[in-house]
Amino acid sequence: MNVLVIVLFLSAFLLTRVTILRTAVIVLLLQSLAVAAACVVLGLETSQFHMYLAALLTIIIKAGYIPAALFKIVGRLRREREQNPILSPNYTSLTAALAIVLAYGLIDQALPGVVTRNALAAAIALLLIGLLIIMVRRQAVMQIVGLITMENGIYLLGLSVVKGLPLVIEFGVFLDILVAAVVLVILTYRLKISFLSTDTTQLRKLKG
Amino acid sequence: MQVLMYLIVIIPLVGALLSYVQKNRNGLRIVNFVASVAMTGLALVLVYQTARHGALRYGMFYIDELSGLLLTVVSILTLTATLYSFSYMEREVVQGHLAAARLPGYYAMLNILSFTMVAVLLVENLGLMWVAVEATTLASALLVAFQLNRTAIEAAWKYVMVCTVGICFALLGTILLYYTQVNVAGSAIEALSWLQLAALSERLDPVMVKLAFIFILIGYGTKAGLAPMHTWLPDAHSQAPSPVSGLLSGSLLSCAMYVIIRNLIIVQNTLGQAFGQYLLIGFGLLSVAIAIPFILLQHDIKRLLAYSSVEHMGLITLGLGIGTPLAVYGALLHIFNHAVAKSALFYLAGDITQEYHTKHILRIRGLITAMPLTGTLFMLFIIAAVGVPPFGIFTSKMTITWASFAAGQPVLGFFILLLLSGIFAGMIFYCAKMVLGAPAQPVRKAQSGALSQIAFLLSFLIIAGAGIYLPTWFNGMLLRAAALVSGGGY
Repeated sequence: MNVLVIVLFLSAFLLTRVTILRTAVIVLLLQSLAVAAACVVLGLETSQFHMYLAALLTIIIKAGYIPAALFKIVGRLRREREQNPILSPNYTSLTAALAIVLAYGLIDQALPGVVTRNALAAAIALLLIGLLIIMVRRQAVMQIVGLITMENGIYLLGLSVVKGLPLVIEFGVFLDILVAAVVLVILTYRLKISFLSTDTTQLRKLKG
Repeated sequence: MQVLMYLIVIIPLVGALLSYVQKNRNGLRIVNFVASVAMTGLALVLVYQTARHGALRYGMFYIDELSGLLLTVVSILTLTATLYSFSYMEREVVQGHLAAARLPGYYAMLNILSFTMVAVLLVENLGLMWVAVEATTLASALLVAFQLNRTAIEAAWKYVMVCTVGICFALLGTILLYYTQVNVAGSAIEALSWLQLAALSERLDPVMVKLAFIFILIGYGTKAGLAPMHTWLPDAHSQAPSPVSGLLSGSLLSCAMYVIIRNLIIVQNTLGQAFGQYLLIGFGLLSVAIAIPFILLQHDIKRLLAYSSVEHMGLITLGLGIGTPLAVYGALLHIFNHAVAKSALFYLAGDITQEYHTKHILRIRGLITAMPLTGTLFMLFIIAAVGVPPFGIFTSKMTITWASFAAGQPVLGFFILLLLSGIFAGMIFYCAKMVLGAPAQPVRKAQSGALSQIAFLLSFLIIAGAGIYLPTWFNGMLLRAAALVSGGGY
């Protein structure tokens, strides 16, 4: 489990540094695989069949379909990359490090002595770093990656606090993420067609 | 009853499927007319039965007086939005804003949106509720982007991003609530069933519940358009096709508010009323206050209405925050009145923008000569929306303010009145500018389609009627729903 936590931290850090969209999607893919592996580990510990199913769903949706869709769109956005991000990679990494410290601090405050301390901290750090990326990156694809990172964080949190949600709800959550990704990819295509670029800072016409 | 409940959920889905495969324009009309009338009729029967005989539960479906009220709102608005869509979308096609081939897609999405909203109201589970609320965002996002021009895509992108991030926090809060439930209920758990959570609420861990509620309020508050998370709202509401704007503003915001209320009931039992009250009053006051400058200096007719929605949602939150049975009664009544009046206003604004080819307030002149029926109704609905008697919104705004004085918070009541007068000034000023006077250029007299006129008049009858007389069963349902919220417990 600790290895996986390290992989997750690493993926979050890498996301703060990448400026090439394709690399960001690869990192996201690795991160989702680590979350799926965490499901399997928990399944081995608790011997619940439910966990393996969750791992399978994670692989199909978050490590399969969503990265595939993102790769496809990134392939059409050859000239797009994260230029002049709102917060430079160095500062973003620094903020991410602070987020990890904050995550450990929160866990020790709210749930002192919890067994899954590291996994929980990773979950909260992913959540915060995902949010950070949505806020400080201009590219639509980077924001989608940030959103899925956030979602991975919440999923990991559920996994380490309550061993995952009941199956029906979990199915629903996965379905929503899938549809959300589809909707966002469609909108990104439309951004490219209408604005000739997927830089979201162009979206500032609606005001007041 | 059980069959009725399943039918209400299934009919919109069937409607969506049939609309999607329909090539013929008349066939599309018939399918949607039948589906919306059937759904509305059945839903109202179900609500009436609930009001008469109390809560009903079948498996994971549940309806009580509170969800009954919201189901009334959603079903009435589904009907009026569908009726209005016929003339609005056809005129969009005629005016060349839209290809006729895209109409089946529009109606299919509209039906899916009503399906997701009904699902929010009928499931007895906080987790599934979350799933349904997120589904409403996704279903409506493509409708917001439906025009596919730059501004529509900008609005849709902001809408999905802001609301999905917000709703992620709500999921976090829901997971934390589940954690407290697991700790208390052990093996006898019905995961995230709010009936069980409310029953156990006195034994839940207060610190965790507090944390959970903050996340939940921020998350669903984003969806309900509470300030300062309301930024997506004016964009999405102004860019969506008008029938969709009406649905978003009237029923989608109300559905998000409903989910907050369900969580509030549990939280109040665990922590007492004070904690939730401070948060809700804070968000409520801020939402009402933040709307004022945007209403006083507005150039876009639909954004004007959207900010008025922010104000109304703030007022509902305030009512919930004051927390006495009277205040909650006022807030619930306000949900109903707001939905009917605001949706009709958005429909009328749609007719107006189609006629004048602009949303710019200063370019719209002399509505009352150019479009007599639409202009008159627009003025009447604006007057209703700012809370002038004898319309329903007067009653609910009055009740909330009165409850604030009665609950021993005269300063709050004074503030509410002050803020409302600011809103009143802005709305009436712009409304008078648009409706009165002579048209800048001669406009030929235009009429909206017969079905959409029926939708306007239906809304008008309801909002005028609600100010004068509420049917006994409806009033009883409201009173019991208010007792559920302020009394805590099912």
